[in-house]
Amino acid sequence: MPDATKHILLVEPEPMLRRTVAMTARSLNLGQVHEAATSAAALRLLSVRTFQGAVIAVDCVGSGKDSRYDLGLIDRLRADAAANKQGLSIAIMTETATPELLSDLRERRISRVILKPFRARVVLDTIETMCRSGKT
Amino acid sequence: MLIAATPDNEAARLAALYDLLLLDTPAEERFDRIVAFAATEFDVPIVTITLIDTDRQWFKARTGTELCETGRDISLCSHAILEQDILVVNDTLLDARFADNPLVTGMPHIRFYAGAPLTMPSRLSLGTLCLIDRKPRTLDAMELGILRTLRDLVVLELRNISEVADA
Repeated sequence: MPDATKHILLVEPEPMLRRTVAMTARSLNLGQVHEAATSAAALRLLSVRTFQGAVIAVDCVGSGKDSRYDLGLIDRLRADAAANKQGLSIAIMTETATPELLSDLRERRISRVILKPFRARVVLDTIETMCRSGKT
Repeated sequence: MLIAATPDNEAARLAALYDLLLLDTPAEERFDRIVAFAATEFDVPIVTITLIDTDRQWFKARTGTELCETGRDISLCSHAILEQDILVVNDTLLDARFADNPLVTGMPHIRFYAGAPLTMPSRLSLGTLCLIDRKPRTLDAMELGILRTLRDLVVLELRNISEVADA
């Protein structure tokens, strides 16, 4: 029998927020939230399973003219989803949404942008929506 | 005002509480960050991690109140530790148990209360993680789930203390 559980990847460096979201999602049967504090940890999780949704903290890296948002993990998720012929909802959490970032996110079909500061509730609502949508 | 009943397992409960060596100790970041997170998450002015001693409630962590303890006889948390799940009082003025409680009629003027019992694996409830507001409100299923999670994080910290003590 296929596993009906929706697996969601949560990439968030702040442990309190990450644990609260993952534990609450589990207790309310919203889905199985897999936690990663860094992109490197997320890539390790990607190597062992596929996900039906992801909520990813996107931070600006570098400084000055060389600063840019690190969207590498999102590109990897999209590539994996395409390879597996799966739908994949991706939401991001970020400090600010510049026009350049929003353009990049539209290209990557990001379903939701969550601006900081936000409550754990907002992330949980997003995960609940992902798990209830028929995109899997 | 209704004074909370004494739990049937009071002697064992107090013994477990004293074994933690936590009463009257300084604030600790691991507990402070949970109450700070809860205050922001639920947008309430007061959050405490309350431990119920013989005749007082003492706050291991608190935000939004200068009180560090009150008498157990007026403690809403003393009612909460008798519950299996979260005790929610949407409006204390509409609840005969609490309407004339000095913590309701006077400072800090509690109108809304939600107390999640800190129940150890031994089933002994040592205190609560509690939310207080000065206006009536409700919690929906998602909010109750988040409060349970934050309570579980407090219990994990208490278990860590207990396990270190037992080692």
